[in-house]
Amino acid sequence: MKQRIHHILWQPETFLALLVASLFGLMGQLDPAFIQWHVQRELSTHAWELAIIAIPMTLVILTGGIDLSVGAIMSLTAITLGMLFQSGCPLPLACLAALLAGILCGALNGWFITRMQVHPLIITLATMAAYRGVAEGISRARPVSGFPSSFAWLGQGLWLGIPVAGWLFLGLLVVMLWMMHARSFGTHVYAIGLNSTATRFSGIRVDRMLLAIYTFSGGVSALAAILLVARRNTAKADMGMGMELGVITAVVIGGVSIFGGRGSLLGTCLGILLIHETREFVSWHWNRDELNLLALGALLILSVVFQKLLRHKRATP
Amino acid sequence: MKGGIRKVFAYMVRYRAAGLFLFIFCLLTLVTLVNPTFLEWQNLRDIAVQAAPICIISCGLMLVLVTGEIDISVGSMMGLLAACMGAMASLSRGNWPPGVVIPLTLGIGMLLGLLNGWLVAYAGIPSIIVTLGMLTALRGVTELIMAGTWITDLPSGIRFLGTGTWLGIPVSVWTALAVFLVSLWLVHQTAIGKRIYAIGSNPHAARLAGLPIKPIKVFVFAWTGLLTGVATLVSVPQLSVVDSGIGVGLELLVITCVVVGGTAVNGGIGNLGGVLCGVVLMTMISTVLIFMKLGEDATYWSRAIQGLFILGAILADHWISNQRKT
Amino acid sequence: MERLKTNALSKSYGGTHALKDISMDIIAGEVHALCGENGAGKSTLIKILSGVERPDTGKVHWRDAPLPLGKVDAIEAHGVVAVHQEPVIFPHLNAVDNLFVGREHAMACGIWLNQASMRKQTQNILATLGEALSVTEPVGEMSLAQRQMVSMARALIHQCRILILDEPTASLSARESASLFGRINVLKEQGVGILYVSHRLEEVFKLADRVTVLRDGASVGTWAIKDLNRDTLIKHMVGREVPVAPPTSSPNVKPTKQPVIEVSALCRKGAFNDISFHIQPGEILGMSGLVGAGRSEIARALFGVDRFDSGNILYGGRTWTSLTIQDAIAHGIAMVPEDRQLQGLVLPLSVETNLLLPSLANHECFRGLDQGTMRSTAGDLVTQLGIKTESPSKPAESLSGGNQQKIVIGKWLHTHPTLLILDEPTRGVDVGAKSEVHRIIQALAAKGTAILLISSELPEILSLSDRIMVLCGGCNQGILSRQEATQEILLRRSLPTDSGRDI
Repeated sequence: MKQRIHHILWQPETFLALLVASLFGLMGQLDPAFIQWHVQRELSTHAWELAIIAIPMTLVILTGGIDLSVGAIMSLTAITLGMLFQSGCPLPLACLAALLAGILCGALNGWFITRMQVHPLIITLATMAAYRGVAEGISRARPVSGFPSSFAWLGQGLWLGIPVAGWLFLGLLVVMLWMMHARSFGTHVYAIGLNSTATRFSGIRVDRMLLAIYTFSGGVSALAAILLVARRNTAKADMGMGMELGVITAVVIGGVSIFGGRGSLLGTCLGILLIHETREFVSWHWNRDELNLLALGALLILSVVFQKLLRHKRATP
Repeated sequence: MKGGIRKVFAYMVRYRAAGLFLFIFCLLTLVTLVNPTFLEWQNLRDIAVQAAPICIISCGLMLVLVTGEIDISVGSMMGLLAACMGAMASLSRGNWPPGVVIPLTLGIGMLLGLLNGWLVAYAGIPSIIVTLGMLTALRGVTELIMAGTWITDLPSGIRFLGTGTWLGIPVSVWTALAVFLVSLWLVHQTAIGKRIYAIGSNPHAARLAGLPIKPIKVFVFAWTGLLTGVATLVSVPQLSVVDSGIGVGLELLVITCVVVGGTAVNGGIGNLGGVLCGVVLMTMISTVLIFMKLGEDATYWSRAIQGLFILGAILADHWISNQRKT
Repeated sequence: MERLKTNALSKSYGGTHALKDISMDIIAGEVHALCGENGAGKSTLIKILSGVERPDTGKVHWRDAPLPLGKVDAIEAHGVVAVHQEPVIFPHLNAVDNLFVGREHAMACGIWLNQASMRKQTQNILATLGEALSVTEPVGEMSLAQRQMVSMARALIHQCRILILDEPTASLSARESASLFGRINVLKEQGVGILYVSHRLEEVFKLADRVTVLRDGASVGTWAIKDLNRDTLIKHMVGREVPVAPPTSSPNVKPTKQPVIEVSALCRKGAFNDISFHIQPGEILGMSGLVGAGRSEIARALFGVDRFDSGNILYGGRTWTSLTIQDAIAHGIAMVPEDRQLQGLVLPLSVETNLLLPSLANHECFRGLDQGTMRSTAGDLVTQLGIKTESPSKPAESLSGGNQQKIVIGKWLHTHPTLLILDEPTRGVDVGAKSEVHRIIQALAAKGTAILLISSELPEILSLSDRIMVLCGGCNQGILSRQEATQEILLRRSLPTDSGRDI
């Protein structure tokens, strides 16, 4: 029992939770207005796309891979949505087509990764250029706007007091938590990240699972793109630029090992919360955006150092 | 006859430099047939000036990849170095003489590289994390330094590095040539070059053989930082305005060139000739698209074509490894 | 007298003592064998002597002067050189660079490398080893034995006075081993002291002058070889008497039974050719042959890991011309792969998860994974197989090699396989745990499981198998009954002849 408590106590999630709690305490001291519900709700609109993509990215990194193309898939799907809408296609159908395009992009990533046996970093670096390039090509780098106001509800509206995008995130999170903890899928994901050969030799369809996870990542990126288009009321090829780095940073700060096999969705959520709150507070209170970048980079490196220490501590009681 | 063609093709795919060279040659022939003005001195010089800084950084980054690490911070590093250089040299701010500014810029670049290398080799943080953190943090520092302003008044001494010529060839191209030759020497004629390849080829054996793994890793990162400084000095003065956005996305372009040039991300493989061809190919694509007279729309497709080239390079690598297995 | 003397060497990793107070000496001109079970501290000692690791306390003296510990290059300069078990090979570099990286010859004040002198010396060394290798081809494209030779050449480039050989015959054929032994004797006559580490006790008795035994990181003692025999040496290594695995009392096989599997004319280009055999329920078919004879490749093909080009497998009432791992498992084939750490186990995961990995989906119910049945299934397996672990929730990597191997076998037991393929099931397993693994195999066969046993250890094959198939160069050299088979016949059939080579 004592050992178990020791084990739980030295989990990165525990420390992240403490860190987030003390951050809220600090922010409440410095600027009580900031932690009001309606302020937080308003500011959260900046974070939903990143948070939604962080869910499949957690799975991807847990398997020992990486997906650099999520931002580019957002751009391509946003353009698909915009161009179809512009050419007179009904909006729901255009959204469906965008989702389908995202799924196809993700599946193509997965196909390359499982067939070519090349590191996902390189494959998704290539498709990152290719997808965004196609988006630029077909849209000639021009924006599409003029979506109906009902569409904006998806990105800006509330339902039961919580943003619609937030509901989508929560729904996705609950489903994936169930998949990870109550299905063999979760254990298999960790096993792949720790040793994919042994997992394959245990009869698990590793290739099929990887294909599914990268496809899922593509589909969710498309979902995020739809939300972003709805929120900004415009679709443009430079959408989601740099998104991949933000998402990976959040996931890694959340305690997911870049080599795979270690970390959790809960940690990712705490990581997102931590960087979102820090960023918004620095902008809100000091109005200094450049400090954010500095803090984010330092936080990333420090958190990995810290996680290393924690892992060591956990191993030797 | 058919076998002969196959053999030539296999050779081209296997020796990336030769394959890319042939590809570039075909592309040049094609574009010249469509539009002979492509081969005009002015145009070739423009492409060379564009390629020079990419080539300089690629020579360093290739070595990082050969050791099995990665550096995605070069873009932000260039942004920071440009800001530092601008702040030190500009007439309205530091107005320091070039003799001070140049070594200081190079020194800062090397220090940043040292920091990357130290974090990777001695603190044991994965290089993708370290340099991702640096990518973000250094951009933040740049914005702190620039504080929303920009610099337009670089002194002529510094300007010369970007726009001057010697024997009719721009200084930046001469510099790139020098860096390339030094890199060739480093890779083929020095102990450290051999060791860089050995470490990437089999890290475990390198440990058993007692190779100084950590210092060598620090060296490749510091070397890349130094070369980023060189690239900054010869490219940024070409711009009329120095702001905080210089070098955004540069890391991806450089990695693309290095990978298209046949460097393996898992370490151990990398060829300077291939990398040079990769740089030339990647930088001439957009110009080629313009000269092909495909209309204005064609230029929007240059990024997509870059992506296709990387995918092509990956397919070629895959094909080689399959060939080897059978 | 020239000798290497260690003085109270100790080393611990994170609280566990790998070496405790080791004092021994190696005299020039002798072959000194180092024996011990896995985890006894042999590799740690070698790493310290060769400078890869630095000891916590203690000193090493060479010719009565202290050696600079923890510096490979400085120790090599003193003539103390190690050939590690895994060849020190850089696959992308050519032979010259492989030999000289880390000790390059420079000229013109270090501006240029002296390529000519390095190339010449490489050719000389390789010539004395009797190998005609290309010095420009990347070493990664050479054969395994040639790579081993390059690794050896790397050690011999120094004027070595003490040579440390760690399991040098692990991946060599009998003929290559013999030439290595000749080489060792030549070096010994030249006055080189040799520290020889091997699991193969025959080699120790053939080569060594003295033996030092390590157990649990401590030195048990040093003996002249003539004062020991096989049994006393094993007793020193294990610390207790180990009974030799008794042969199965009588064949379990009733010849009238339907075979579990029938393989006919199985081929894969470059790996194996025209392989046909069948196994009956309860029968153990041994598969013998040298490393690289195609044994593991056949096992992988049967388990669906690799494709095969032609031939078919009659199994589970179906004729398969291609199959996947999932097909194989669904129809009751299970495999214990040759590389336990890479292919058998997910080391950081718990014993329980590793045991349940192939059948985890069976434990899914509406509310999620059924923790209760999972725990009881794993607990049953742990007791049934005698896996020694504090708790099933400990990571698999915390267990010893023998217990890890039991997990790999155990994870298939509740899928109730009708055919179990075991590829080198006792490689890297201690003498003590070895006989337990043998007992498990025999118990499974007694219950009616057909077993395909691949092993390089002839005594193991001979004592366990009902019939033995010998492979050479991917070809079947005949199937022998247990009565017919002797070590000599197996060895003779497994050595390549001129006609046996070509596939």
